[in-house]
Parts: sequence; C-alpha cells; structure tokens
Amino acid sequence: MIKLHNLTKIYELNKNNKVVALDNINLEFQQGELIILKGASGSGKSTILSLLAGLSKPTNGEVIIQDQRISKLPDDFLALFRRENIGFIFQKYNLIPTMSVWENIALPLIPTNPDETILKEKLSKVMQQFNISHKENSIVKNLSGGEQQRVAIARAMINNPNIIIADEPTANLDEKLSLHFIQILKQLKSSNKTIIVATHDPLFFDLDFVDKIINIHNGRVQ
Amino acid sequence: MFLTPEILTLQILNLIFLSFGTIAFILSIKIALKWDLNATTKLQYSLEKQSFLTATIIKYIFTLKIPLFLFFIFTLDKLSNILPGAMCAAGVVNATVYGNYLLVLKVINIYIFGFWLVLHYVDIKQPTLPYTKQKFQFFIVIYFLLLIEIIIEYLMFSSIDISKIVNCCGTLYSSAATSFISKLFLISNQTILFVFYFNFILIIFSYIKKYKQLFSIVNFLFIIVSIISLILFFGTYIYELPTHHCPFCYLQKDYYYVGYLIYILLFLGTFNGLLVGFSTDDILTNNSFKKSIIFNTLFVLLVSAYPIVFFIKNGVWL
Repeated sequence: MIKLHNLTKIYELNKNNKVVALDNINLEFQQGELIILKGASGSGKSTILSLLAGLSKPTNGEVIIQDQRISKLPDDFLALFRRENIGFIFQKYNLIPTMSVWENIALPLIPTNPDETILKEKLSKVMQQFNISHKENSIVKNLSGGEQQRVAIARAMINNPNIIIADEPTANLDEKLSLHFIQILKQLKSSNKTIIVATHDPLFFDLDFVDKIINIHNGRVQ
Repeated sequence: MFLTPEILTLQILNLIFLSFGTIAFILSIKIALKWDLNATTKLQYSLEKQSFLTATIIKYIFTLKIPLFLFFIFTLDKLSNILPGAMCAAGVVNATVYGNYLLVLKVINIYIFGFWLVLHYVDIKQPTLPYTKQKFQFFIVIYFLLLIEIIIEYLMFSSIDISKIVNCCGTLYSSAATSFISKLFLISNQTILFVFYFNFILIIFSYIKKYKQLFSIVNFLFIIVSIISLILFFGTYIYELPTHHCPFCYLQKDYYYVGYLIYILLFLGTFNGLLVGFSTDDILTNNSFKKSIIFNTLFVLLVSAYPIVFFIKNGVWL
C-alpha cells in the first residue's frame, strides 16, 4: 500500500518567492492498482511522482510505501529502496544517448554487481517482453521515439519493481505508439504491479482497466 | 610569531577548521535541541538536510585533524633545527609553557575525534539514524576542545623565542630533569617491563574471554604504560644508548622515522581497544577487538624487537 499523508511541497526559489507545488495532499493506493494523475502543466503531478519515487523530500508530511516511511529515509537507504521497489519512466526517457540499448537497460543492475549469466538472462527477458531485442546493440540516440520509450520501460522493469511510475509517458509519442504504451500498461497491471501515471493525455481517461483517476489542480486534489 | 611553511600551513588549516567548526557548532546546537526523526514537519526535514551538511563538515575536520597530528610532530621536529639547544621536537615542546599541555590535549583529542567518527559511522549505517542527536551533542562538547587546541597551538607558536636557548631532550628526559619526568626514572627497568608485558597479557586475556569493559580499561592503561616503557626502556635500544630516553628522537630520519610507526600502531591498537568498551554494535565490537589485538601485538613485537636484536648482535643488555 502507498500512502501520502499531509503531503506538502514548497519550492523556495528565494526568500520572497515560494511556489507551493503541493498543498496538504492525502491519498492511498493499493497494490496492483493503476492510478492516473491528471491535471494541467504545473498542477503538481510530477512533484507527487518525484516524492513517491523518493527523488525529492517533502516540505511537510510524508510518503509511506509498504510500511516504509520513505520520506524519512536517509539518501543512501532511499536509493536502495528505489532500486529495489520502484521503476521510473521519465517524460524524456532520461536514457544515455551514446550508450547501446542493452547498456542503458542494464544500468540499474550495475550497483548490485550481478553475475554475468543472471544479467544476460534478465536483459534478454525484459528486452523480449518490450520487443526491443532486435535493437540490443544499437546506440540509443539512433532509435525512434517509440523504441526509446520501450528501452526506458525495459530499464524501469529490469529490477522487477512492484511500483511503476510514469511521468507524461506519451507526451512525445504519436497516437499509435501511445496506444501501444497503454497495452504495455495493461500487461504490467495484469502482473499485479502498482502503476501511477501522471498525464494530461485524454487517451488514458476512458480506459476500463484504470482503477482511479485523480485530478490535481494547483497542488490540491480536486 | 615566526613563520615557517609548516607553521603557516598549520595555522591556515586551523583557521579553516575553526571557521567551519563554528558553523557546525551552531548547527549542532539547533539539531541537538530540535531533532525528532518521527516528525514530518518542515523544521525536521530542514534539520535532516542540515544534519547531513553538518556531519560532513565535522567528518572532514576530524579526518584531517587526526593525521595532522603527525604533521604537527613533524613540524616541531623541523623547528628543532632553528631553536638553539633543541635536538628534536622535545626541545620545541618545552620551549614554551604551552607545549606540554598542547601535546597532551592533542593526544586526547585524536582519540575523541576518532570516537566521533566511529559514532557517525554507526549512526549513518542505520536508516533510523539512532545516534544523530547524541553525535551532535557530543560535537558541542568536542568543539570546545578543538577551540582550546587551536588557541593553545596559536599561543605556542607565537610565543616561541628563537633567540632563547632551550633544553635538549637529553636534559629533559633524564633523572636530572626538574619536571615530573625525573620521577619516572625511579622506576626500575624490571618493574616497567613487568608492568608492560603484564598489561599486554591482560589485553590478550580479556580478548579471549571477551570481557569488553576490562579490555577497554587495560587498553587505556596500555597507552600510559607504553609511553613510559618507551621512555624508560625501549627507546634506549632504538638509540642503542643507555642514557638517551627521548620519545621524539626516533621520529627523525636517523632512526628511519620508526617513531611514527610505533605511535600509529599504539594509537590504532588502543583506540580500537577503548572503542570496545563503548560499542553496543556486535559487528563493530568484534572488529574493534580484532583490530586492537592485531595493532597492539604489532606494537609489542616492534618495540620488543629492538632489545632482542641488540642482545643478539652484542651479547649484552644495555
């Protein structure tokens, strides 16, 4: 279970300029749910995701994931928690453009220093799952947008996390590729993964397998 | 104050340590007073960030201060070339009223700085940061020791008069000395050797029996006993001179800088030994037990080797 308790995030640009990105948010998500956070740009969706993933700390309140108070974890432990439990798909994919597909996907495994056989096994499985095996040795910058996104998803899934977080995953995709991404989400949901997607793409709002659609406006739940 | 590159280095570093140490001191007070890890308030999140910054500052100050002690001794040793009458660091230490106090305080401080570093290490190893409050409370106290050390060091270097003749170590470490050191020479070699090896046997005994408190106490005694033994007995075999008892001369090139190795081994052995008595962490306790035994044994072997080698070579004792 994921719990956001009295979550507030204020960005202090300087002493006289504060931006309240989130204002006292309280939410709960169950294991296996697909949640859509919808709202306009600047509404606070991405801030919620970064707090959920432990990429930043709240100003007030906390995030509890599987009974772990992740907002209270020191950075080293947070990184470990994130590595084992969370897969993040970024809007701009955040891949390393000069590295190959398999090198990008293998990156989250490097700190664990895995056995070569296990590494190859995991890579092969995840590349097949997201239909990118044929591009295994291609340099990422030479791939199309859809292929880059599949690499990003494969990288997020390589550690088999329970929680998948996607920030505007279809912002750079055409409709066909967006629908393909939605099919991937359905596939992931069927394997009991908790998926949280921040988007303002209307394609997501009428899906029958979405459990919750949460509207965020000016840092508050509507 | 006369300035050599070494004194200048030490003074500039002290100024940096004092500046950053004062920032860390102010933040430590705030953290010590208001830290509550369970709280999810703006203040607590801000303190968590500040505690990381503060601990990093303190960690770097102490990590540098410990090896700088050796550089301080090296500086004193180098100054002995300038001061008339001084043959080694001992003459420089005794050139001012501050020298001996500073040396004792520096030795105490390196143990205390080491303890803080271990406490910090144990704290950040756990996600609940169980010792954060204690480590910053501890630093508040240590800050004053650091401050006093820096002030005395400045006073010592600034009051050295290079036109004044100072005593050499041969005079300072002899039965004719006017200080308390002369009283040490009332102890016979047999007595000090018995105490030294008996103390070491007690260390081994308490290690085998895993008596934590006893191990810590005998390690504390071992610091004092070892220094006295070095002055009274082992030093004379390093110099191969029965009348030379200086605990500083063997830091010089003539003796292959062996003094540094001797004191580093003694520090590492006894520091880990003292740690055992304070540690509540099983892994840390076991590691400290082992490290203490290893370094203390190496220390005993090293200092014992000198008289044995001397006897093998010459067939007589000094």
